Amino acid sequence: MKQYVLKRLLNIIPIMIVVSIIIFMFIHLIPGDPARIIAGQKATLEEIEIMREQLGLNDPYIVQYKNFMLGILTGDWGNSLKTGLPVWEVIIPRMKPTLILAIFSIVWSVIAGISIGVISAINRGKLIDYIVMVGASSGISLPLFWLGLMLMQIFSVKLGWFPTTGIDSLSSYVLPSITLGAGITAMIARYTRSSMIEILKENYIRTSRAKGLSEFIVINKHALRNSLVDVITIVGLQFGFLLAGSVLVETVFAIPGLGRLLIDSILFRDYTVVQTVLLIFTFQFIIINLIVDVLYGVANPKIRYQ
Amino acid sequence: MKKLIALFIVIVMSVTFVACSNNTEEAGNKATDETATNTPVENEDVNMTIAVNAEIISLDPHDISDTLSGSATSTMYESLYDYKLDMSLEPVLATGYDVSEDGLEYTFYIREGVTFHDGTPLNAEAVKYNFDRVSNKEKNLKRRRNLLHVVSTEVIDEYTLLVKLDAPFAPMLNRIASIKIISPAALEKYGDKGIITNPVGTGPYVFEEWTPGDKMVVRTNENYWREGPKIDTLTFKPVTENGARIAMLQTGDADFIYPMPTEQVKAVEGDKNIEVIEGPSTIARFTFLNMSKEIFSDVRVRQAINYAIDKKAYAKVVKSGYAVPLTSHVPSTITYHVAQPEYEYNLEKAKKLMAEAGYPNGFKTHIWAPNDTENMKGMQFISQQLSKIGIEVEVVPMEEGTLSDSIYKAKTPEESTVNMWYVSWSAFDFDGATAKLFHSANIPPTAPNVSYYMNPKADELIEAGAIEVDPEKRAKIYAELQEIIWNDAPWIFLGSDVLLSAKRSTTEGIFVDPSGGIIATQAATSK
Repeated sequence: MKQYVLKRLLNIIPIMIVVSIIIFMFIHLIPGDPARIIAGQKATLEEIEIMREQLGLNDPYIVQYKNFMLGILTGDWGNSLKTGLPVWEVIIPRMKPTLILAIFSIVWSVIAGISIGVISAINRGKLIDYIVMVGASSGISLPLFWLGLMLMQIFSVKLGWFPTTGIDSLSSYVLPSITLGAGITAMIARYTRSSMIEILKENYIRTSRAKGLSEFIVINKHALRNSLVDVITIVGLQFGFLLAGSVLVETVFAIPGLGRLLIDSILFRDYTVVQTVLLIFTFQFIIINLIVDVLYGVANPKIRYQ
Repeated sequence: MKKLIALFIVIVMSVTFVACSNNTEEAGNKATDETATNTPVENEDVNMTIAVNAEIISLDPHDISDTLSGSATSTMYESLYDYKLDMSLEPVLATGYDVSEDGLEYTFYIREGVTFHDGTPLNAEAVKYNFDRVSNKEKNLKRRRNLLHVVSTEVIDEYTLLVKLDAPFAPMLNRIASIKIISPAALEKYGDKGIITNPVGTGPYVFEEWTPGDKMVVRTNENYWREGPKIDTLTFKPVTENGARIAMLQTGDADFIYPMPTEQVKAVEGDKNIEVIEGPSTIARFTFLNMSKEIFSDVRVRQAINYAIDKKAYAKVVKSGYAVPLTSHVPSTITYHVAQPEYEYNLEKAKKLMAEAGYPNGFKTHIWAPNDTENMKGMQFISQQLSKIGIEVEVVPMEEGTLSDSIYKAKTPEESTVNMWYVSWSAFDFDGATAKLFHSANIPPTAPNVSYYMNPKADELIEAGAIEVDPEKRAKIYAELQEIIWNDAPWIFLGSDVLLSAKRSTTEGIFVDPSGGIIATQAATSK
């Protein structure tokens, strides 16, 4: 197990190198001159030229890539082209809100999703199953923008329970997390349900019922645990994709997170920030995949790592 | 399994914690005093919040070009002269100025008894330090473009500063107004990059904190040299989503929002706590017609296009009614504006002109603009209107960086591929609203004269206006220039925005000037 994890960790290095090249190519291939965008519409040509020179944009791509990699390795990630602040000063304050948002969303959608899935599976074909599943389908199809604004109107404007926007307190995260987690809850619920239904047909479930175990133990200990493997896969994947959703939610609720930073930086062609944020996303995706793989073994000890 | 149960307990606990945490509680990193988390902290400060639709880019007032960063820095910084709400200039850190007869020497008399937030006194030396910083080519700060004519600054005495120009430049005072004065001691201490996050000026507010993307907080300057705000702190908060900004105003989380989304005005009409404020703007909305292209080279075609567009319908359809027709190439808020006879909506006249120009059946062309909703609406409107005189306009929305690239990559008029560009422009003074857009030296890639408008007479007047220091003569030059440009119709003249902001009825003393800048010097609230 330890060896397996170590091997996987070492694998990160070549992956990150390849990804860094792809990222570098991608941002330099999209049209748009950062010097001109940063200098603004009213800039003089001379100003743009000086800026291009200062930013190293006149260097050949290979030199720019070399500088970029050297910077990363020596810890000098450069300054944001847009604000002039060091990249890390721009990025680090943005990590916490996104992380809190992602964790809260995942947590509540795992709890709610699994509960809904189990309830629905046990009551398969009954009215409650239909109601819950219709709810879940709507959860997947609701546009995040709309859901966020509706929640804000109801719970902030009408009822005054939560702040409308911002990150001044943890309660600010409640509505954004619900918004962001809605789709995932629905997805987890559906997967849990179908997986549970399959497992409830298994012989060992019949056996455990036959030997007189309470229904609670049968469901929660024997059936649920086995269906968790599917759920973990979904959660792992979704955690990565949460970032895509977080862009919208961060915009609606004015949360200064990484998702919004990435979009703003791309629009502004703030290369240094875009590069760094993308590298962080990649790294985080790889790590989450690793955690998911390890969790498989926790959920199902029959899975062995080589 | 035990681990899983433990994990679930942790999860449930954290969710409960979130659900129970009081909304007055400080963010995690500050909540060291755990016992007090559930009692709202009594805050005696009067705080006001302005929600805006974009992010503050930088707080170095010499290195910004966007309006919002300008508004944010204006809470802490002041310049020698500044704009009043009617766009006329008033002395702020100066008490007056003289200009030599040849227009080459400006003498500024600096206000006495003003100190920066760090205690440094304001004097001619401090102002010179700032002008020198902005003029420094190496530093390439964005405001340098406003001081390009300055060759030297000299301290005459403690409170007198002489600024020498290489050529007479009529809008000099306007450009001086754009240069905010930073404490030289702070610049020495924090350096060019450090000053971004450590602003020290003379303004009505003192810097407190700035979390890029989240908020900027400033506190009222107790030692302000004139009457200042009647509140304790002021917060600028970027909230890009229109619906969220409205919600903040509805709950009182925000005291003032700008811009107020035009499509939501009806939604807040019944709310007694909210007032919507309208104001004129310096923003011109228009469409460049690329005159280097065969189809737009004939003035009759360009005029026909202007006659074929219903400007009132434009305001209604695209701007939800919040625009007024342009009556010159500069909006009426710009000094020296002279209203021209309108291109009334007249399809018959338009068709006749098209026929005379040899296009009785119209032609095919395309229009470019960024791909957001409002720009799409604008392009579709133009396309729909022009179809009535046979011009088939393909709407081409582009991502902004791509659009800018497509326009500026052309090194010569022949290389240009743009036909029509739907865009807006905002400037403080006549020269700023004209030279870059109409002078033949300013065609791409130099500057955005995307009409490729090259009229020697217009060039001559633009140049003459820029060096004429006598206001009356200058007005005459600009009147002639406006007439020429209007008749040449290198643009589709569409409209000028009406700026919408909204406030809680308790909010006083916060204004939006015609350039879209937020002025909060006298902010007060009765909440």
